[in-house]
Amino acid sequence: MIAIVDYGMGNVASVQKALNFLNLKSIITNDHKLIAESNYIVLPGVGSFKQGMINLKEHKLDELLTKLVIHEKKNFLGICLGMQLIAEFGNEPEKCEGLGWIKGEVKKMESHHLRIPHMGWNDIDIKNETYFNGILSKDFYFIHSFHFDVTNINDVSSFVRYGDKLVSSIQHENIFATQFHPEKSQDSGLQLLRNYFSNAKD
Amino acid sequence: MLKIRIIPILTFNGLGLVKTKQFSNPRMVGNAVQAARVYNSRGVDELIFLDISASQQNRKINLKLVADVIKECYMPVGIGGGISCIDDINNLLKIGADKVIIKTKALTDKTFIKECVSFFGSQCISISVDAIKNGDNYSIYNKLNLEITLEEFINDMNECNVGEFVVTSVDCDGMMDGFDVNLINRVASKTNIPIIAVGGGGNMTHFNDLFLNSTTEAVGSASIFHFTQYTPLDIKMELQKLNKPVRL
Repeated sequence: MIAIVDYGMGNVASVQKALNFLNLKSIITNDHKLIAESNYIVLPGVGSFKQGMINLKEHKLDELLTKLVIHEKKNFLGICLGMQLIAEFGNEPEKCEGLGWIKGEVKKMESHHLRIPHMGWNDIDIKNETYFNGILSKDFYFIHSFHFDVTNINDVSSFVRYGDKLVSSIQHENIFATQFHPEKSQDSGLQLLRNYFSNAKD
Repeated sequence: MLKIRIIPILTFNGLGLVKTKQFSNPRMVGNAVQAARVYNSRGVDELIFLDISASQQNRKINLKLVADVIKECYMPVGIGGGISCIDDINNLLKIGADKVIIKTKALTDKTFIKECVSFFGSQCISISVDAIKNGDNYSIYNKLNLEITLEEFINDMNECNVGEFVVTSVDCDGMMDGFDVNLINRVASKTNIPIIAVGGGGNMTHFNDLFLNSTTEAVGSASIFHFTQYTPLDIKMELQKLNKPVRL
């Protein structure tokens, strides 16, 4: 079973729709017991970093997720805000602490000549192929104004170029996270999810 | 490299899909869910669904229908029509919308738009800019008898930190005789957020002209997909010949 964490930060339905399409059983929940019993944890989300942390804390999900992912090494997939929240710090709308699983800080994108938010399909430069096997197109859908400046380059599994080289996905032990939206990236996104959950069928 | 987005737009009038000309004379063009299914199977970059009479008729968007449309889509979807409170947006995001598109409320209530942005983030809030030509200038088309220039409105919305402008030329809407590139460039020079250019696409030359002569990275179109044999892929193939970045 896959637990999609429901913490009031939008767009959980799209993730579940993609998992349903792949015949993967999932549940949208904030119930500690159900999350603890699952094989995989998915943290989706859009919106502001600070609000995301407030919502996680409100249900003590920050403590639970850290216990399960960091200490018990449960498989974790973060998407968009769900990737950013695992950073040490965020800055939206002001500086605040994140879950702190991956070293680095989420910063506002700045550019004089590029339109921000970074919105649309962009191709990624893959560093770690593990979950990208069999992908026909490297174009994924991005929609964000903040980016995760990851401290340790070994934690980065892919980059995207938008002015600067930005981190588009992270892989560290049992943690995998994407700045883009696989659930909105048609065939490539579905293939990525299929790869990631290839062990999840029960 | 970021790719040009070719975005089909579905406009709904409360009863069915319609296509207008210069924002009037709605012509029925079929079923929204079927259209969404076809666009998904063609792998379009994004889809926009607008209920163009919700605000005017003072009713809410049909969430059941929107949910059925979104169910067909494995690409991003922007939804607009009659959005006037935070709960309206929550309801749309809950059923899988990625962005909401606001127009009428943005003309009358800047505070609300700021509230939306702080709650959902800039990237979630798109603003519909319906511009009508007025001599050498443009004003914002509306049914509230508000007089507001294009520049005033863009400045107001920039100040609110919104995430995207859907810029429609009312004069070119449904005419299929080319985009108002001048309008798009005017907006582009006043903002650094993404712009979707809408209104007037009728053949391949029109799209080529738009992307050769403006800095916009996205286009929305309806008539060309309803009334001609062209698909979004055809447009991309043409743009590729001009060395424009597209996702094939």
